[in-house]
Amino acid sequence: MVNGSEAMPDSIRKATGSHQSAQEDGPPALLLAGLTKIFGGNPAVDRVDLTVPAGSFFGLVGPNGAGKTTALSMAVGLLRPDAGSSSVFGVDMWSDPERAKALIGVLPDSLALPERLTGRELLTFLGQLRGLDPAAITERTRELLDVMDLEHAERTLVVDYSTGMRKKIGLATALLHAPRLLVLDEPFEAVDPVSAMALKAILARFVADGGSVVLSSHVMALVEQLCDTVAIMVKGKVVAAGPLDEVRGRGSLEETFVRLAGDDVRATEGLSWLTS
Amino acid sequence: MVDVLIRMKLAIIRNSMTGGRAALMITGGVLGLLAAATTVWLSLVNPSGPGVVPDLLATTYVVWLLGWVVGPVWGASSVLRVEHFALLPMPRRQLAIGLLGAAFVGVTTAVTALAFLSLVVYGIRQGVLPALVSVPAAALQLVLVVLLSRASHSVFGLIARGRLGSAFTGLLLAAFLVLTQSGWIVVVVIAYSEVLSTGFPSGYSAVVRAIPSGWGVAAVESARHGQWWRAVGMLAAMVALSGLLLLGWSRTLGSLRHGRTTIRGSSHAPAATSPVLAGRTAAVVRKELRTWWRDPARTQILAIVLGWALGTALLPLTLGWTAVLPWAGPGMALMAATVACNLYAPDGTALWLTLQTGTEHEDLRGRQWAYLLVFGSLTVAVTVGFTLWSGYTWAWPWVLALVPALLGGGVGLALYTSVVALAPGPDAHKRPDNPLEHGETPWQSQVLFWVGLLPAVPAVMTVVFGTVYDNAALLWAGGPVGLATGVFLGWWLGRVAIGRLRAKGPEMLYQMRTGRAAKTVAVAAPKVDVPKAKLSRRESLVAGLSWILGPLCLIPQGVIPVVILLAGAEQKVWFLALYMPDPLRWPVAILMVLLGCFLLHQAIRLTVKSSRPAWPGK
Repeated sequence: MVNGSEAMPDSIRKATGSHQSAQEDGPPALLLAGLTKIFGGNPAVDRVDLTVPAGSFFGLVGPNGAGKTTALSMAVGLLRPDAGSSSVFGVDMWSDPERAKALIGVLPDSLALPERLTGRELLTFLGQLRGLDPAAITERTRELLDVMDLEHAERTLVVDYSTGMRKKIGLATALLHAPRLLVLDEPFEAVDPVSAMALKAILARFVADGGSVVLSSHVMALVEQLCDTVAIMVKGKVVAAGPLDEVRGRGSLEETFVRLAGDDVRATEGLSWLTS
Repeated sequence: MVDVLIRMKLAIIRNSMTGGRAALMITGGVLGLLAAATTVWLSLVNPSGPGVVPDLLATTYVVWLLGWVVGPVWGASSVLRVEHFALLPMPRRQLAIGLLGAAFVGVTTAVTALAFLSLVVYGIRQGVLPALVSVPAAALQLVLVVLLSRASHSVFGLIARGRLGSAFTGLLLAAFLVLTQSGWIVVVVIAYSEVLSTGFPSGYSAVVRAIPSGWGVAAVESARHGQWWRAVGMLAAMVALSGLLLLGWSRTLGSLRHGRTTIRGSSHAPAATSPVLAGRTAAVVRKELRTWWRDPARTQILAIVLGWALGTALLPLTLGWTAVLPWAGPGMALMAATVACNLYAPDGTALWLTLQTGTEHEDLRGRQWAYLLVFGSLTVAVTVGFTLWSGYTWAWPWVLALVPALLGGGVGLALYTSVVALAPGPDAHKRPDNPLEHGETPWQSQVLFWVGLLPAVPAVMTVVFGTVYDNAALLWAGGPVGLATGVFLGWWLGRVAIGRLRAKGPEMLYQMRTGRAAKTVAVAAPKVDVPKAKLSRRESLVAGLSWILGPLCLIPQGVIPVVILLAGAEQKVWFLALYMPDPLRWPVAILMVLLGCFLLHQAIRLTVKSSRPAWPGK
């Protein structure tokens, strides 16, 4: 298992290193303004404004059903918003999708992939769709499969992958074209601790080299460990956002989260039949 | 337990009911009632031949049995899935009895119960004792077919895990389709042969009674002849078989998540470098061809298309009739579009990659090329081979005109329908127990079978004129005309589908993710698309019924009787107009044509309405 900064594929490191200068005064990596989505009369995402500064490692946390996946889907162009806008490095996602989408790498939560391809075939296919050079495709694919520890599954089709393997190949597809911004929905769910360590190292290195990352998660400790900026979503609204230390104040992020998520702590009452 | 499951089933059906589904259910129910009424009618006729009625009944019961066995393979997912109950601490046999009880609640079971009343009617006509035997016999017969259906569902799910099994189930379905559409030939043969007055051959009678569906008839007959031990034995055998089936079926419920047959991919293949193969469209074609080769669900599609076309062409050979052989190829091109009309749904939410890379154009064109490579090569090979085999040189101008027009029109229509009338099913990795589970497309297939014929009209007209005026140039011009029509329709319908995919990609993705159609509520942003006009529940019911009944009235009940009347032929088969007294034949046939036109007009009007903006001009 490769670990630490060596885990970063060379080709991706080179690509991400080149845009370090852009992060100082340029537009934010991701800017959501008044983003709204209504399902069956209930707002799933309610006028969300969010700024992800370039070069930041941004964590989006919230309880189940808070609207994290819906917000991120709208941000990357996979779900049409009812109102509001999303732009990536100043490029509007919905009016200039081609340019905006070229800048981002996306890992959606539990969506399918071309299931009847192997990991290598899938990455090659995607590289060709992205218009990468054949030699670069072959080389990057090899490195990514190595880093993700998927080389042993050379002839296994994606449909037969385990949940953790699906996450890892999904992350590889997000990294393949060396994007400037990564948008990852629950990237560590179902990933084993060893692979998670490697992934964390890759992401940390990506940000250190000037890339930007947005990830959503339930795991507060992980967000605290990785992210420098966080936002807390509850019931479709952003209730707190800013640098990690400002948001959590003197307590832990978990305490802040529980305080803001409000009345959801019911563990002490009810269910008396369970223990009797 | 049973009542809980029944309530659960009814709740699920109620929550997933839409206008379209209701239309299908009603149409199916009406057709089923007609079939049931015909079965009961058979028990009331008085043919002169000895033992003809029980033979006819036993034969009909075989058809009912086949329908029940094949039905679950055709259908998508069952309402109550075994996985729902996997974690309940409950004996498998109890669960099986519960699910069986719930399986009795449904239109199909009600209709079949009605049909099996024919056995009771037959029993009553034979006397008191046969009547007494016929009641438990009919009830047991119903239990037996429902159980056989459940058991076959499990068995087919098991075999279909690999490609060979999928091909087998596909061929089985194709065989059933061929038999159904050729069924009227059997009816004609029976009606015109001497069988009704002399009785069926004894070997035939023995066979239809040996099949479990005929045991009830055998029991009632034995009671009439006073062979008590035999009557009771038959009933006991039915009970025993039901018990065995229940036992076997409940065993399969216990072993969830059988291993799927693992299909292997390529190893260490580097990216293609030649400019032709490295492009985006070429990448999609390669991905699609790999999927056609590796996905059991696609193997099944191929098997249905191939099996249906070959079966339809080869079955008449049993009567020494070779005239159908040249049409196997064109039939295959038509059936391909009919079956492969939902090509985006099996890949499910993988659509997000297409949207993310902005390759909607390349994706759709790549799928079209792959479709042409798969079905085109098969169609051309079968056309050339079978036409040569038939030895009919006159058939060449016809098939040369038909094949390119139907293939090109088919590749356009299939992809257009896949995008516009997407019927989402579960994602591939979420249906590990049955790779064949898919979205239901009965409308699309029904409509496409008829619409799929239209692309051939210009080419066929050219050949018809060539034949009528005996003009060789016109006769052979059909091929180029067909090619031009095919290329144009494939390109143009593909272009329309690409436009739709670009405009509605996120909505399609949402639909595949949730199974529901997406609604974009325009809150304030003018850029946001205007929502489509929603059809009311009644309107979509009318649209569904019109799509199903319109073509039925127009072609088989309208145009074909007109042709038969013109030709002065006497076959009545199932043509309503021909059963009328002489002065009414023409008016009824014309009425049917008009009714068909009206219903089609209704269907098209409502469908167009549903795809227009709700507020034009805004």
